[in-house]
Amino acid sequence: MSETYAVELKNVVKQFGEVVAVNGISLRIRDGEFFSLLGPSGCGKTTTLRLIAGFEMPTSGSVRIYGEEQGYLPPYQRPVNTVFQNYALFPHMTVAQNVAFGLEMRKVPKDEIKRRVAEALALVRLTGKENRRPKQLSGGQKQRVALARALVNRPKVLLLDEPLGALDLKLRKAMQSELKALQEQVGITFIYVTHDQEEALVMSDRIAVMNEGNVLQVGTPEEIYEHPQSRFVADFIGKTNFISGKVAVISGDRVDFRLPDGTMVAATLPEGAQVSAGDMATLSIRPEKIFVTPEGEQPLVGDAEALSQVSGRLVKIFYVGVERRYIVALADDTEVEVRVQNLDRRSRRCQPGDRVTLHWRRAHARLLKE
Amino acid sequence: MSEQALSRALSRRSQLARLKKQVSDLLFHAYGFWGYLFLYFPIIILVVFSFNDSRSTAQWAGFTTHWYADMLKDHQIILSLWNSLFVAIVSTTVSVIIGTLAALAMERYRFWGKLMMDAVLYLPIIIPDIAMAIMLLIFFDISGIGFEPWKVNFFGAHLAVPYSVIIGHVAFNISFVAVVVRARLAQMDQVLEEAAQDLYADPWRTFWRVTFPMLLPGILGGALLAFTLSMDDFVITFFTSGAGFNTLPVRVFGMIKKGVTPKINAVSTLMLLFSLMLVAISLILSRGGEKGDSSGNPMF
Ligand SMILES: Nc1ncnc2c1ncn2[C@@H]1O[C@H](COP(=O)(O)OP(=O)(O)OP(=O)(O)O)[C@@H](O)[C@H]1O
Ligand SMILES: [Mg+2]
Repeated sequence: MSETYAVELKNVVKQFGEVVAVNGISLRIRDGEFFSLLGPSGCGKTTTLRLIAGFEMPTSGSVRIYGEEQGYLPPYQRPVNTVFQNYALFPHMTVAQNVAFGLEMRKVPKDEIKRRVAEALALVRLTGKENRRPKQLSGGQKQRVALARALVNRPKVLLLDEPLGALDLKLRKAMQSELKALQEQVGITFIYVTHDQEEALVMSDRIAVMNEGNVLQVGTPEEIYEHPQSRFVADFIGKTNFISGKVAVISGDRVDFRLPDGTMVAATLPEGAQVSAGDMATLSIRPEKIFVTPEGEQPLVGDAEALSQVSGRLVKIFYVGVERRYIVALADDTEVEVRVQNLDRRSRRCQPGDRVTLHWRRAHARLLKE
Repeated sequence: MSEQALSRALSRRSQLARLKKQVSDLLFHAYGFWGYLFLYFPIIILVVFSFNDSRSTAQWAGFTTHWYADMLKDHQIILSLWNSLFVAIVSTTVSVIIGTLAALAMERYRFWGKLMMDAVLYLPIIIPDIAMAIMLLIFFDISGIGFEPWKVNFFGAHLAVPYSVIIGHVAFNISFVAVVVRARLAQMDQVLEEAAQDLYADPWRTFWRVTFPMLLPGILGGALLAFTLSMDDFVITFFTSGAGFNTLPVRVFGMIKKGVTPKINAVSTLMLLFSLMLVAISLILSRGGEKGDSSGNPMF
């Protein structure tokens, strides 16, 4: 018995004339999931969402919602609702009329509309603002009206296109947790478009990282952050150091890797990576996964002997409150960033200009093919 | 020492700059004043002499309202006023419907020959009235429509209005309505229509619940413009009416041929008042539109 997905895309292609906006995407989004589409501007996130909503028809491929092929169904016949980027509230209607719109179109009885509108407004904490016009609301309030207007219809899937994009940073953080709590409360599948990686990491159950119309990797925030499968994903999500060199020996998922100056370090081979000894390749290591000490010393960790070691010269230190950022130049002038919490004593003795040693665990250095 | 000299020099320079600005402001205001005077002086004269107690329109001889009473007793003038109103109301109604549909077609749909239609739609605005009038005249002649009158009882007035005049007015009004409505439509975010469809509204209900209400200030603005143009039109009416049919402007023209009297001033003043009223209404309407959303009426 195959599982029924909330939304299933199979080899979906969308072309606008010469432009290929979506280049053969397959996705399976589970019931009740908070699923994010993450990627840089122009990568096809909005187009993907519009294909699900029915505003665009795929050039080829299929879109299913809860097992039902959507084909050429127009938006008003699909069991999904959208929260638009700039809210798209009807300016000539009050808040209550905006929220009631979908129910009216579906000919829900008047008294039920009234009750459900009140419920939806209570859900987004806007009770008492029923008779305001969209113009008389703040950005955050408009956002919540847009949310209520969609949720009141109890859609099977809610599509959100950068819903927090227009808000300032502080309000945005507050709305992130509010939105996440709301999703858990109503239990509706959310498909959430964003180009903010931190937002995607914080809110999502799973993330699809997109670039140039393709989905590069799908996984939980932890999988995406800890085990990026491509240079693009590693670079786009969080800060990453790239160190290039040559593959010396491969045994299982262990790779011995030679840096340009001859130093040998150990790294991990991601599942399914096609690399063989002698290939040029790149290591990716997160800045917080590296220890820095004065040259020749060991960091204060249990398995210090098992760490790979590389020496370099400390170029600069940035103090940013919770942590210090060390910029270290390796023998071939590759700059590596190290982030150390302001607890570690050993690293604090290092000064710009000093010779230092960098240490990392094999599991944290992941090999990416060039 | 030298510092003091410097600061004195600087303050003198800033005084000079201030003086320059005052002079230029004065000139600027004077220029504006003369400009307005030039524009409005003839109108003031017109209004003032409509109350002149003499047949002369050049010499003041005391205040009277008898030219207005005279005007109201003149059956020809009253009949032409009814004719004007009837033509304006009918042609505005027809051109608002067709013009709005044309604007929607141009803004929201792609179709074969759109570029062509775009050009044709604006033609009546750019070509001279006289060319349009002659075109229409020839058209009515060779098509056999002629100057057949529409006999109608309009609020008790028995009118005989040639269809050709109404068709002529519709022909130029469509363009003006389409331009105004289209400007409004272009400002309107299409995502609102998508939002309506997302909320289960089919295209028909999307139009009536979202597109139309948001378009309404534009449609009303277009209607007022069409109405005003229709009331004011002389050239096209004159050419398309055949013999014996007068709208108010055509009637006034006929009277002038027999000599200018303050009665003409009185009629003109009334028409002026009427136009001002329409402009005021359109301003109020566009304010109302602005309250609902940021985009006001683009034409006024
Ligand atoms: N209607 C359209 N006509 C032509 N090209 C389009 C259309 N819509 C999108 N595109 C193109 O398709 C590509 C993907 O666009 P899309 O809007 O999906 O990107 P996005 O990931 O949402 O970007 P952003 O983060 O900037 O919103 C872009 O190159 C865009 O120019
Ligand atoms: Mg987008």
